[in-house]
Amino acid sequence: MRAARFPLIALFAVGGVLAASLEVTVRDERGNPVENAVAYATPKGAPAPAGPKRTAAIEQIDKTFVPHVTVVQAGTTVQFPNRDPIRHHVYSFSPAKSFEIKLYAGTPPTPVLFDKPGEVVLGCNIHDNMLAFVLVVETPYFAKTPREGIARLEQLPAGEYDVHVWHPALAAPVPARTVRLRADETAPFPAAVTLKAQPARAPAR
Amino acid sequence: MKWPRFRALRLQQRMVLLFVTLLMTVQLASFYFIRVAIEEIASQTLREELQVGARVFRRLLDQNSQQLVEATSVLTYDFGFREAIATRDRDTILSALRNHASRIRASGMAVVGLDGRVVADTMDEAQTGGAYAFPDLVVQAESQGRASGMRVVGGKPYQVIVVPIRAPLPIAWVAMSFVIDDASARDLKTLASSDVTFIEVSGGAPRVLATTLEPGPRAALERSAAAVIATSAEGSRLMLGGEDTEVLATPIERKGTGNLYSVLQRPVAAGLEPFRALQLVLVLLACLSLAVTALVANRLARRLALPLARLAKAAGEVAKGRYDVAVQANEPARDEIDELALAFRGMTKGLAERDKVRDVLGKVASAAVADELMRGTVELGGEEREATVMFTDIRNFTSLCETLRPQESLALLNDFLTVISEVVEQYRGVVDKYTGDGAMAVFGAPVAEPGDAQRAVEAALEIRRRVLALGPSLAARGLPHPEIGIGLNTARVIAGNIGSSSRLNYTVLGDGVNLASRFEGLTKRYRVPIVVGELTQRGCTGVIFRELDKVRVRGRVEPVRIFEPLQLARDATTRAGRALDTWHAALADYRERRWDRARGLFERLEHEPGYERLAEIYLGYLADVAARQPGPEWDAAFTLFEK
Repeated sequence: MRAARFPLIALFAVGGVLAASLEVTVRDERGNPVENAVAYATPKGAPAPAGPKRTAAIEQIDKTFVPHVTVVQAGTTVQFPNRDPIRHHVYSFSPAKSFEIKLYAGTPPTPVLFDKPGEVVLGCNIHDNMLAFVLVVETPYFAKTPREGIARLEQLPAGEYDVHVWHPALAAPVPARTVRLRADETAPFPAAVTLKAQPARAPAR
Repeated sequence: MKWPRFRALRLQQRMVLLFVTLLMTVQLASFYFIRVAIEEIASQTLREELQVGARVFRRLLDQNSQQLVEATSVLTYDFGFREAIATRDRDTILSALRNHASRIRASGMAVVGLDGRVVADTMDEAQTGGAYAFPDLVVQAESQGRASGMRVVGGKPYQVIVVPIRAPLPIAWVAMSFVIDDASARDLKTLASSDVTFIEVSGGAPRVLATTLEPGPRAALERSAAAVIATSAEGSRLMLGGEDTEVLATPIERKGTGNLYSVLQRPVAAGLEPFRALQLVLVLLACLSLAVTALVANRLARRLALPLARLAKAAGEVAKGRYDVAVQANEPARDEIDELALAFRGMTKGLAERDKVRDVLGKVASAAVADELMRGTVELGGEEREATVMFTDIRNFTSLCETLRPQESLALLNDFLTVISEVVEQYRGVVDKYTGDGAMAVFGAPVAEPGDAQRAVEAALEIRRRVLALGPSLAARGLPHPEIGIGLNTARVIAGNIGSSSRLNYTVLGDGVNLASRFEGLTKRYRVPIVVGELTQRGCTGVIFRELDKVRVRGRVEPVRIFEPLQLARDATTRAGRALDTWHAALADYRERRWDRARGLFERLEHEPGYERLAEIYLGYLADVAARQPGPEWDAAFTLFEK
C-alpha cells in the first residue's frame, strides 16, 4: 500500500486539477472481485510522461514476498528488504528483468532497477514457495486491485488511453481497450478476466 | 479276452493278483486324482502368485517412476541448471542437460518450452524446435505438476518423466528418459521374483523390447505374444525354452506410440516344486502298501489254498480207492477250511466203510446181487420171474476127503467152489449160496437177462469140463478122479430179499428151485453129470441133448421130461450121433408100447459106452411093464419118490 501511495501523490503534483479518473472493476468469470489485478492506461498518440523518480520495495516477511504483486513504471528501482531472521536468495529469470541477489540479510545496498516493461517473476532460490510478480509498465497511470477488485486510476489528463488489465494467473491475455476520458470524469471500466486454476503448491518448507 | 489264462492260474496266485490289482486300481485312481488336484492347485497358486506378482510389479514400476520423478524434480530446482536454461543458449542448455542426465544416470534429457516445442534434446538434437513427441505427458505435468509414463523411442522402452522447471513459476518442461533394457529388467526380476519381459504392440506383430529371458525363450514368447496378451486377464501357459511356463501379461501403458505390456513368466515346475516331495511320498506309500498287501494276500491265499490243494490231493487218492489218506485239520474246527477237512475226513471214513461192506457183500453174495443191493433201496419182498436155477454137487466129496486132513479138505472144496463160482459169474449167473460141498446158482435173477437157460447149460458144461480138468492134479496127490453132478431147471420163481428188515438174504424160492435140486439128485440115478428140465432144454439152441426120462415128481400130476446136455453142436461127433439116434428111437418105441422093438434097441445099447446105465434102467422098466401089463393111463413116466 505504501508503495502505491507515492505515485498518486506525484500525480497530483504534475496533473493539476483538470484530471479524470478511471475506476476499473475486475471480476472473474463467476463475477467475483479479483484481487491483485493490475490495471494500467497508456496514453494514445503521445509517449507516456515519465513519472517522478520513484522507488519501490518488496519485503520478505515470514518467507513470503510482500506484496505479492507489484507494478512499477520502467526505470523504477526496487528494494528487497529482508525482514526474516534467515537469509533469502532473490532471483528472476524473466526476460524483462533477470537478476539475483545472493543470500543476504537486511536490505541490500543497491536496489534493483526495472528498466524494461514486462512481467517479472521473482523467486527465492532456497524457498521454492516464495513467489512474487513485478509488472513493469511504460506509464505512470496504473493501479492494483485490493480485495474489493476495484482499481482506481487517478489524475489522468483528458484524452485517449489504451487500458490494460493484467493478473499473474491470467488464463489468456486480456486485450487492451481504448477509452476516451474527459476532464473531471470518473469513468467506470468493468473488466472480466479468466484466471488459471492456481496449481496446488506444496506448503512452505 | 485273457480270462482263460487267468483262470489257469492257481487259486493262490489268482487271489494275490486280485488283491494287488484291486489295490493298484484304487491307488492309481487316487494317485491320478491327487495329481490332477495338485496340478490344479499348483497351477492356481502359480497363477495367483503371478497376479500378485503383477500387482507388485506395477507398484514397483510406479515407485520406480516416483523415485525418478523426485530425482528429476530435485534436479530441476538446481539453481545453476535453471540459470543455464534461462540463458536460452541451446548449446549451453544441451550440455547442461547432458551433465544433469548423467548425474542421475538418465538415458536422455530434454527441455520443452511452455509452447510445447523442444528447446533441446540430448537423445535427438534434430528434435530441436519441433513439437515434443509426448504432449500428453506435458498436459499431465501441467495439471499435476509432474508426469511419468512408459514410452517407446527408437524401438526401446523408456520411463519418461516430465516435470516443470520453476523459476519459481514453470518456465519450461524437463523431460527425463530412463531406458528399460535387459539390465533393468534383470533388476526388476530380483524384486518381482519372476522373469520379466516388456512387449510393445503397435499395429504390427508384438515386439519384445526388454526381457530377462534367454534368446530362445524370448523368441518363443515373442511368437506367442499376441495370444498371451489376449489372455492378459487370467494368464496362460506357454512352452518357453522347453519349460512349461505360466505367463501373465499386464498392460502398463496405453498411450503414446504403442501399447506396452509387462509380461511376467514363472516356470510351472517351480510352482510344482513343493508338491513333488508330496508326490514322492505318495508313490512310496503306494509301493509300500502294495508290497504289504501282496505279502498279506499271499499268506492269506496260502492259508486258504494250501489246505484246499491238500484236500484235492487227498480226494484224488480217495478216488483211486485209497482211503487211508491223512487230512490235517484242527479239531474242533476253527474255520470253514477245518470244517471242510473234517467233513472230508468223515466222508472218507464213510466211503471206506461202504467199500468194505461192498467188498464183503461181493464176497458173501455175488457181485451182481451186491450191486443190485447197493444200487436200490434194500427192502423185503420179491417178484416172480423166470430164472434158471442150478444146483451142483461134488460127487463123493466125503470119500474124496477121507484121506485128507480137514485143512486140505477145505482147500480142495474151495478149489471146486472157486471153479464153480468163476464159471457161473463168467456166464453172468449168480452164486446164491454154498450148500456144503455144493452150490446153488441162479441165471436171470436178480438181473433179468434173455438166454439165461442157454447160458446156464453152457456154464454147466464148462463147470464139468473144468472139474474134470482138475483130475490130473488130484491124481498126482493120489486122489480119485473128481466128478460133479449138476441139476438145472428153468421155471417161474420168487426172487427177492428174504429175512427180517435188519438181516436179509437175496434168494430165489419156488417149486422150480426144488425141482432143480431134484434134478441134481437124479444125476446119480442116471449116472450122468448134468440133468436139465424140459423148459431149460427148450430154451437152448446149438446144444445136443439126450432125453433121459419122463419123471413124475411127488406131489405133481404132470410128469416132466428130463434131458442131459451132451455137448455143443459144434463139438459133435458122428459116432456119438448114431448112438443117440438109436437111443431116442428106443425111447420112442418104449413110450409107444412097442416093447419088443424097444427091448431090442436097449439091449443093443447096453454095451454102448455112456448108455450102459440108461439101457439097464429101461430094460428094468420093460421087465416091470411085462410083469404088470400097464393100463391105458400108463404114460411112460417114472415116479420119483425119494427126495
